[in-house]
Amino acid sequence: MSAPSCSPFDLKDYFYRELADPQQLQVETHIKVCPACREELDRLGQTEHALFALRDEEIPQRIGFVSDPVFEPSPWRRALASFWNSGPRLGFASAAMLSAALVVFALVRPAPAPVVRVAAAGAPPAVVTAPAVSEAAIQARIDAAVAKAVAPMEVRHEAEMRQVKADLEGARQRLILAAEEYDYNHKKEASAMISAGLYAPPQHGTGEIR
Amino acid sequence: MIFRAVEDSDLIRQAARGSVEAYNLLVSRWEKRVYNYLLRLTRNREDALDLTQDVFLKAYQNLKKLDDPARFAPWLYRIAHNEAYSLFRKRRPESDSEEVTPEATETGVSIAGTSVFPIELSLAVAAALDRLSHDQREAVVLKHYQGFKFEEMAEILGCPVSTVKSRLYTALELLKAELAPVKARGLS
Repeated sequence: MSAPSCSPFDLKDYFYRELADPQQLQVETHIKVCPACREELDRLGQTEHALFALRDEEIPQRIGFVSDPVFEPSPWRRALASFWNSGPRLGFASAAMLSAALVVFALVRPAPAPVVRVAAAGAPPAVVTAPAVSEAAIQARIDAAVAKAVAPMEVRHEAEMRQVKADLEGARQRLILAAEEYDYNHKKEASAMISAGLYAPPQHGTGEIR
Repeated sequence: MIFRAVEDSDLIRQAARGSVEAYNLLVSRWEKRVYNYLLRLTRNREDALDLTQDVFLKAYQNLKKLDDPARFAPWLYRIAHNEAYSLFRKRRPESDSEEVTPEATETGVSIAGTSVFPIELSLAVAAALDRLSHDQREAVVLKHYQGFKFEEMAEILGCPVSTVKSRLYTALELLKAELAPVKARGLS
């Protein structure tokens, strides 16, 4: 340890420039006339000089922080985070959503159906809610649906019937022609037989085809 | 004349508002000093680098808690001090934390001889610092290498100014006894 200093203030405080200006001046004045304190200051200076022989090293790897978009929240997420972190905003949004829900409910909700009270004898009064849609309306909807489903079938059926009628008519015409031809041939054959004296008139029906 | 277009306090305010670029600029101004402070505390480059990264990450995360940007340096070194001592406790929870083995390049220095070259002096300084306790060494580093005032050192170390001065002056006497002769022999 160093010998006690005769300096008016701590020499090390002076050395480190930690004294107030007036005190610093007092020590400076003292040093000029005190070889022991001057020598002590020299040793402190040499020690500090020696300490500076140990140089700062360069940092082996620079430190940097990356503003990576992958990790950085998107504007939407930032807005969402700020929204969730704000009590007043959250409260206002809740109130707004509740109001909107009430309005929508009031507009969308169907009109209340008439209530029919059926009081059976001896039974407690029961509340029966009439159906919102009448039987006639349901029937009309069913009829419309059936008509819509059946319409193509009817069209097809009519076309088929027309085809069948046409086919039958054709067949009838061919039969008439065949009958006429048969009749002509029969008459011709009968004439020939009459001419030959071999004809015997038929005993039943005329054989005419209508 | 050194002119800085943007002061640290402006960068701190911008960084506190989320500007990573501003914070990176701030880091670039302080990383070497913080690294060397931690290097002299831990005496291990890898630890010092890891701790430096942790320090700046913590500082970024807590930047909004810094009320006065003018107090950034003591605040930052306070984080560094806490990180370093946290490492010391983690490494040797049961034993004396002074017994940290320094890196090979900074040990085994003999200061005997008639002439001392700068490299020898630097090794002698490293060896002399190694012989100090953690507290004494930290006080020397903060005062001589980082240039903090006693008040700031007390803030960083979390102790009264009187304790800071006691540690520093004791360390200075030890260093003076070891280094002044070496300095006088070799370089004066």
